[in-house]
Amino acid sequence: MNGGAKGGGGPLLAWAAIMIALGTMLAIWSEGSATALLFLVGPIPLILVAAWNRARPAPGGPRLLARVSVPVVVIAIGAALAAIGLTGGLWLVLIGGEVALFGLVWLAREMTLERRGVGRR
Amino acid sequence: MAGDPPVAVAIDRGAGLERGFAWLAATDHKKTAAKIAVASLFFFGLSGLLALTMRAELAQPGLQFVSDHTYDELFTMHGSGMIYLFLTPAALGLGLYLVPLQVGASEIAAPRLALFGFWIYLFGGLTMYSGFLTNNGAGDDSWTATIPLSNSTGTPGVGMDLWVIGVALAVFGSLLIGITILLTILRHRAPGMTMLRMPVFTWTMLATVFMVVASFPVLVVAMGLLLAERHIGGIFTGSTGSIVYQHLFWFYGHPVVYVMFFPFVGAVGEVVATFSRKRFFGYRALVVSLLFFTALSMSVWGHHMFITGAVKNQFYSLTSQLLAVPAGIEYLDLIATMIGGAIVFRAPMLFALGFIVQFLLGGLTGIILASPPLDYHVNGSYFVVAHFHYTLLAGSFFGLLAGVHYWFPKATGAMLRERLAKASFWVLVAGTNLTFFPMFFLGYEGMPRRVANYEPGLGDLNLLSSIGAGVIAIGVLLVLANFVVSLRRRVPAGDNPWGAQTLEWWTTSPPPRDNFTSLPEITSYAPLLDRREAAEEEQERRAEVPV
Repeated sequence: MNGGAKGGGGPLLAWAAIMIALGTMLAIWSEGSATALLFLVGPIPLILVAAWNRARPAPGGPRLLARVSVPVVVIAIGAALAAIGLTGGLWLVLIGGEVALFGLVWLAREMTLERRGVGRR
Repeated sequence: MAGDPPVAVAIDRGAGLERGFAWLAATDHKKTAAKIAVASLFFFGLSGLLALTMRAELAQPGLQFVSDHTYDELFTMHGSGMIYLFLTPAALGLGLYLVPLQVGASEIAAPRLALFGFWIYLFGGLTMYSGFLTNNGAGDDSWTATIPLSNSTGTPGVGMDLWVIGVALAVFGSLLIGITILLTILRHRAPGMTMLRMPVFTWTMLATVFMVVASFPVLVVAMGLLLAERHIGGIFTGSTGSIVYQHLFWFYGHPVVYVMFFPFVGAVGEVVATFSRKRFFGYRALVVSLLFFTALSMSVWGHHMFITGAVKNQFYSLTSQLLAVPAGIEYLDLIATMIGGAIVFRAPMLFALGFIVQFLLGGLTGIILASPPLDYHVNGSYFVVAHFHYTLLAGSFFGLLAGVHYWFPKATGAMLRERLAKASFWVLVAGTNLTFFPMFFLGYEGMPRRVANYEPGLGDLNLLSSIGAGVIAIGVLLVLANFVVSLRRRVPAGDNPWGAQTLEWWTTSPPPRDNFTSLPEITSYAPLLDRREAAEEEQERRAEVPV
């Protein structure tokens, strides 16, 4: 269900080209100001996405999707705790890190079970 | 490709969980979007209460209810809440709900990433607001947290740290949600849904996520550096450090204004076409103008720094003025769609017209601010406050309400009460203009923004503005009351109550888990209109055949 998806990178590249043109214009106008670099850094993720999309189009056929994913919520709780720990103290960073790690292991298990489910189908 | 079954096969893993908790961890894009809607509404309510407190304080000259320091916290958390926690997530949430439906996908790309993004955003918001519970209070350096005010000397205390971390988390969560929308558009379009057959709203979402992906990481990095500056120091030092921070901040800070604008232009475009009973005028011109608009909007951040003397004014002024060209094309498209149409003035159309008229006032005053000599005069005054509230509240918020009133029947299966919706529209129009129009004069008279006290001679205009804020609150309560009444005493909507044109109206209201059980043939961005026109032609052809 991804007909025509390969062509989707066109607007990304067009947009990135406009950005680079504007960045070049600023660089020339401001005699090499470093701020022009922001223009060049900004579109890089989009160029990478466009290239990845062209190299590896979305596979057709059924996708298996979990209706509910509790480990994702656990990872988010861990990440948030670790971030707050940057001002709250190392103990909170460590607790948050452990919670996030626990969530990641749980997520890996969930995804493994999903793949086995695909195999059985 | 008509009648293709959906490709996603959902695994029912939520059956054993409690229903409420299952909803909180559900990966369905519609449920994630609903969670974003609830959270952003919560933060809108909190930030709105802060605004009402500020307007109560400003109703008379002198200090009445709050101290200068508390007032600093109020405007900081109001602005931060509205931008980081309400309008930006609401815009992305609307896209998360609608884009898969509009491109014929059975699910968002990377649904777990979208769910993770929501939770990170929510925790970011709660972290930001938790600053009120600390000894020194919440962040109080405005939503921009300009250096050196926001360093550990300017604003000591944990509250400001929590603000910085909260902003980083909330923006990172929004970035992740944006990425899933981008990948959905690129990789999960239905057969026949080429890029130039995507609905107007989806195109505006694509333009939006370009800016999200390009600019949001810069703010996350800037917040990381600001936190390091507060704890370690030596990062944003001296006048150069302040300028570097401003560049990083405004590289996000200006595009985010358009992140809070484009999705609502798309929503208004859909509403205008549907309620004018016409095909959207100038579709391709809109697509090209969107690409230029987004690129230009990434290039104007320096106009926020005219008064620093550290930017190339000519470049940023030129690009800022050039924004009027694609904006003009979009306005032309919207107006030309209405011309010659059989316009139906239902509530979504009224909110769309409110957006078109009121945003124009915000946009035109933006041209004044894009001119350095004029900006030197009004920068830091209430003129700027009036300008951005006309763009964000009188404009974007009305666009959001146009979209919400338009798609509410699709999302819930129930129609909103029309009279209540129209009443809330007129109350909001009155309140918005009563609140923000006097601010242009206050700014012209020299009243600086971000102050709790002012010259006694400015009392009348401020009182008008404060009364207007109360009227806005009544309007918002009417909107919420309409939601409650309409959901409790449901009037069934049917699949396509408005006679709309785009793919999301093909499926049931509300849509099933996998969005579609079949798809029509997609020959343009308006497949349902194509089918109606083809059926009418067929009917006419049959009528002409002699018996």
